[in-house]
Amino acid sequence: MDALTIKHASAMPAPTWSWLRMNDTKLEIPCDLERVRAVTVEADEALTETHASFEGAVAKLQERLDAERTGLEDTRACVRAAAREAEDLNDLDTPALSAYQLRATRDELANDVAAAFETGIGIDARSYLNFLAGGTVVLATEEGADEAAVVRVAGTAGGAAAASVDVVAAPNSTLDLTVSLDGNGEGSDAAGLIGSELRVFAGPRSHVNVCVYVTADAGFTALDDSGYVLDEGARVTVRHTVLGGAHTATGLAADLRGDTARMDVDTRYLACGEDTRDFNYIIRHHGRKTVSNMDANGVLTGTSKKVLRGTIDLIHGCKGSEGSERETVLLANQGVDNKTVPTILCDEDDVAGNHGATIGHVRPEQLFYLGCRGLSQEAAEALFVTAKLEDAALSAPDEQIRANVVRLGSALVDDFKDFEEELA
Amino acid sequence: MSTDALLSVANLTASVDEKTILHNVNLNVRAGETHVLMGPNGAGKSTMGHVIMGDPVYTVNEGTITFDGADITELSCDKRSRAGLFLSFQAPVEIPGVPLSSFLRATIAGRPGLEMKGKEFRRRVKELAAQLDMDTAYLNRELGVGFSGGEKKKVEMLQLLLLQPKLAILDETDSGLDVDALSVVSRGMDAYRASCDGSLVIITHNTRILEHLTVDRVHVMVGGRIVREDDASLIPWIDEHGFESFEREAAGTADER
Ligand SMILES: Nc1ncnc2c1ncn2[C@@H]1O[C@H](COP(=O)(O)OP(=O)(O)O)[C@@H](O)[C@H]1O
Ligand SMILES: [Mg+2]
Repeated sequence: MDALTIKHASAMPAPTWSWLRMNDTKLEIPCDLERVRAVTVEADEALTETHASFEGAVAKLQERLDAERTGLEDTRACVRAAAREAEDLNDLDTPALSAYQLRATRDELANDVAAAFETGIGIDARSYLNFLAGGTVVLATEEGADEAAVVRVAGTAGGAAAASVDVVAAPNSTLDLTVSLDGNGEGSDAAGLIGSELRVFAGPRSHVNVCVYVTADAGFTALDDSGYVLDEGARVTVRHTVLGGAHTATGLAADLRGDTARMDVDTRYLACGEDTRDFNYIIRHHGRKTVSNMDANGVLTGTSKKVLRGTIDLIHGCKGSEGSERETVLLANQGVDNKTVPTILCDEDDVAGNHGATIGHVRPEQLFYLGCRGLSQEAAEALFVTAKLEDAALSAPDEQIRANVVRLGSALVDDFKDFEEELA
Repeated sequence: MSTDALLSVANLTASVDEKTILHNVNLNVRAGETHVLMGPNGAGKSTMGHVIMGDPVYTVNEGTITFDGADITELSCDKRSRAGLFLSFQAPVEIPGVPLSSFLRATIAGRPGLEMKGKEFRRRVKELAAQLDMDTAYLNRELGVGFSGGEKKKVEMLQLLLLQPKLAILDETDSGLDVDALSVVSRGMDAYRASCDGSLVIITHNTRILEHLTVDRVHVMVGGRIVREDDASLIPWIDEHGFESFEREAAGTADER
């Protein structure tokens, strides 16, 4: 395959200053990679033998939403502005809208779930990953069922492999989905690519728990793209653990369409050497009393770079909703480049949006303390890396993924094996 | 200067931001000895400990520090630690994100004679925690985060026992502790002395912690100078009279200049 560049990936819904260079990202797909099938799905037959589809589930939700629609006229200025053909100098009460506002207002008026559907990295990455995957695996639960599935992408140097998965969770059902994006370079730094494209429809009062582990060796690019639609009372928890890979992009967009839907995202990441990490989270609150939490915790060492965009969109009508985002980053080296853009968009009064970030270099007194116990600057950095890896190994969803973390850990720091033995 | 000293601080002058804190300080500690460094608040005791350990915040303007036969004045703190020096902090530092057990394992990595395999390490650390009445649940918690003052000091003692340095400077390890924690700390000191016959420099203003230790030498610091050096009999005297006479004397000499 030829080299491919995906431009304007992981774009923020409402852009900030271009010169900050964080509105979106450019994904470089390494050239000369062979498209390979390296995906295994471990799931009960009950999950895979299904007639349900993501599109079908969205259409059903749409029918209900259309039926519930009230005939009340919306008199907001932005609605008038979006409806008119051109600006009118005699009508100064109707404001001019930015391109973003116009699109947002029209989307809101259309109330079309399928049209509004998006994924975190974006449409181009989605097409590419779906092409790589070849076909989409549909995992659909029965009403009230409690199921689990594991999808493993086992990338190799020189190959490009991706999984495409649709999840349709029936009302009152529970699904635990684990996605392992592993890139094993067998000791070489040769390029490779792994990825996954995930669409999730969480039906009424369903629980969907998604856990993605990226354990890629030094030469890999990893793309984790996902989009979620949550129906009434659905509860989705997502854990993204990104430990390795030269370049990784993680994107998640969620549409909290049904009332009281709730989304919790927990991101843990590590970047070493010249790694780049890109995260784009967009959570849109449509339903009333919807709740979202984004929590990120990372360690950056070497001259690694990270961008985290977290957008909470509190859309008109989502009364009583609450969104919050928090980040803690430890910068273990002066050479790292850390960017965080928390954005809260709000067109509703009765809502709450919170964000907070703790970004810290290792302080001199902490370094001196570690030095007093025999740790050089390099050893101190390695300790922060080790701690992150150990935490990831301890909370790994299964033995195979834990082994992947240990393999990656052993490549990144000396003596990581000791930890494994200690656990035994 | 005694040539058989393990630690020898000679004519040490040190400063921070152009401000001189230690003035021509001398200190000699032989292997196996226990010394006490006393003095009023702000005298420069902690600074002395930090400078001996190589805290880059301070500049050594004059003098030398010799340890175990080598001049360490220019050595980085991690190398001093590996040479066998230890400083227990008056205010131990918190390191969020790093579990105590990961930190402990890193402190012994690459130390000849101390490196242990995973299981042995875990057993050793648990054994020490039990000895110090420390809940092993702390091992999985982030270093220092949410620990009480007493727990922080216990963690310092645990490291002392784990690392078995040749010489340990304990900076007010006893201050602010309740009676129970205090007895744990003094048990830790005994265990350290018993296990490796290490030397101790105890910085304190609490004479109680010294009661059942055999103290070889007492140094009194005032205004960044060692103003008095004597045997253990000085301790009960200071207990009764405090540092006032030393301070008056120091003020007197300062006036003369
Ligand atoms: N890093 C520093 N920056 C500025 N002043 C300092 C610093 N360290 C110590 N000092 C000053 O040096 C003096 C001695 O402090 P310290 O060594 O902590 O005394 P002690 O431990 O005897 O109470 C005090 O006046 C203190 O303010
Ligand atoms: Mg002090």
